[in-house]
Amino acid sequence: MPTPLNTDALPSRRLEAWKWTDVRGKVAAGQAGLSVQSLPHFSVPEGVSVSEISGDDLRTDSPMADLARQFGGSVWEINIPAGVTAPQPLTIGNLSKGHARIRITLGAGAQLSVVETMQGAAGGFSNLDMTITLKAGAKLSRVSVHDDPADHLRVATTHITAWEGAQLTQHALSFGGALSRLETRVAGMGKNISAVMNGAYLLDGNRHTDMTSYIDLTSPDCTIRQAVKGVVTDKARGVFQGKFHVRRPAQHTDAEMRHDALMLSDKSEVRAKPELEIYADDVACAHGNTLGQLDESALFYMRQRGIPIAQARALLTEAFLAEAFDDMADEDLKESLLGKVRGWLAS
Amino acid sequence: MLKITNLSATVDDGNKTILEGLSLEVPAGEVHAIMGPNGAGKSTLSYVLTGREGYDVSGGMATLDGEDLLSMDPEERAAKGLFLSFQYPLEIPGVPTMTFLRTAMNAQRKARGEDEMSAPEFLKKSKATAKALKMKPEMLKRPLNVGFSGGEKKRMEIFQMMMLEPSFIVMDETDSGLDVDALRIVADGVNALRSPERGLLVITHYQRLLDYIVPDQVHVLAGGKIAASGDASFAKKLEKEGYDAYAA
Repeated sequence: MPTPLNTDALPSRRLEAWKWTDVRGKVAAGQAGLSVQSLPHFSVPEGVSVSEISGDDLRTDSPMADLARQFGGSVWEINIPAGVTAPQPLTIGNLSKGHARIRITLGAGAQLSVVETMQGAAGGFSNLDMTITLKAGAKLSRVSVHDDPADHLRVATTHITAWEGAQLTQHALSFGGALSRLETRVAGMGKNISAVMNGAYLLDGNRHTDMTSYIDLTSPDCTIRQAVKGVVTDKARGVFQGKFHVRRPAQHTDAEMRHDALMLSDKSEVRAKPELEIYADDVACAHGNTLGQLDESALFYMRQRGIPIAQARALLTEAFLAEAFDDMADEDLKESLLGKVRGWLAS
Repeated sequence: MLKITNLSATVDDGNKTILEGLSLEVPAGEVHAIMGPNGAGKSTLSYVLTGREGYDVSGGMATLDGEDLLSMDPEERAAKGLFLSFQYPLEIPGVPTMTFLRTAMNAQRKARGEDEMSAPEFLKKSKATAKALKMKPEMLKRPLNVGFSGGEKKRMEIFQMMMLEPSFIVMDETDSGLDVDALRIVADGVNALRSPERGLLVITHYQRLLDYIVPDQVHVLAGGKIAASGDASFAKKLEKEGYDAYAA
């Protein structure tokens, strides 16, 4: 039995990156899953290997990664060799409580779709630390769904390293929890990388979700598209932190960041910090952030046609959120995400 | 029959009175036109009848086929058969036209205790209606009214009206934004809906539309009430002489 986790090791609000997501304040000593290893379930497509390794050369600058290293046990290592296209998605599930570490490597030109579905245990704590390497020309589509109970605390951090010509498409969907953070850090190490980093969050009650991303570009000709959409009601709280860091050699970067949130109650809260830090002089970078309500005129128009108000609200809200999933290539997967959105809107 | 009795209404949280004791009866099977100067309250009347928020009734009554409209929610009024063709139709991004209209139609049917219209039946009816209005089929696949010109939006209102087959229609400035050809197509659509069971209230600033949709009666709305009424020829007189004689 290892020493139980000292909650002082958790990030506090005094850290700039955690100022709106107070893990230390929310976690109770003795919270289920705090000091144990989590056992993920994988369904592994042909051509992809999974192994458990105990060696530990993962180094990240994140406090949550340190805790995963301390309490998460062995690393789940997933490899897809160069040039191989996985015929089905790799699914990752059962991260219901505890710490887990997963490392995924796509060889040059390999193609993989990863679907993570996280359903936490009531009152539990989960910490996932994931490291993904996309070698030259590799193509990854990633879907991450956080569908936790209202009293679950979850932090999921993904460190992605992308090499020349790699393509990343990420779609996140979060229903929040007592605390939920979905953080993605991308290090662009080569030319011609393209990334879509979209997400949607839907929060009610006292739920909290945090979608944080940091994209660091060091080479020319990369394209980034980010659209995060949020809906908050009751006393829920949504957090968006996005940063594009465009270093001097990253000329001709074409990057767009958008965060739009609908606030459907007076007591809901949204905190947003879109950031651009640009050192290259020949780039096209933009960011935008809006907070608003449903359009009353559109609601009246729909009601005049006979659509009851609750249904009119749900249709408008779904249309607003669905934009985050517009560019998903897998229609079945897209429909299953929209199905979850509709389920939330109907409840 | 639409029966409005002594209707008064305010906007701006009761600070501004727009309608002051307006009375009007439009029997089933008839088309009545309401004309009047800008700011007379023509659009306010359409919003009060359909129940838009911010338009408060301060007195009087309005019934459709004997039922009190003013106590119903907007969607209940729609299910009862009241349809407003908007002066400025809204754009609804992300909601495809067909999804919107099918949701509306089935919600109305459900509210009336009727069966839903089947998907093939709906598709067939929408194709025939679009053809009659000379609308491109692509328009029905796009999000409702998004990127449409003013004229296209008006045509889409008539399309919805023909699909929903309401029992009473209020048309608010339907002619604005339409060129003569589009006006003729729209008027043909409206005239095809004229029937002994259906009443129409056509709100217009100009007489032009009434050359195509010939009314049974023409009323002048001025000073918050019906200031004068006449037959179809009255519209031509108004166009020539203006509304000054009826100013409050």
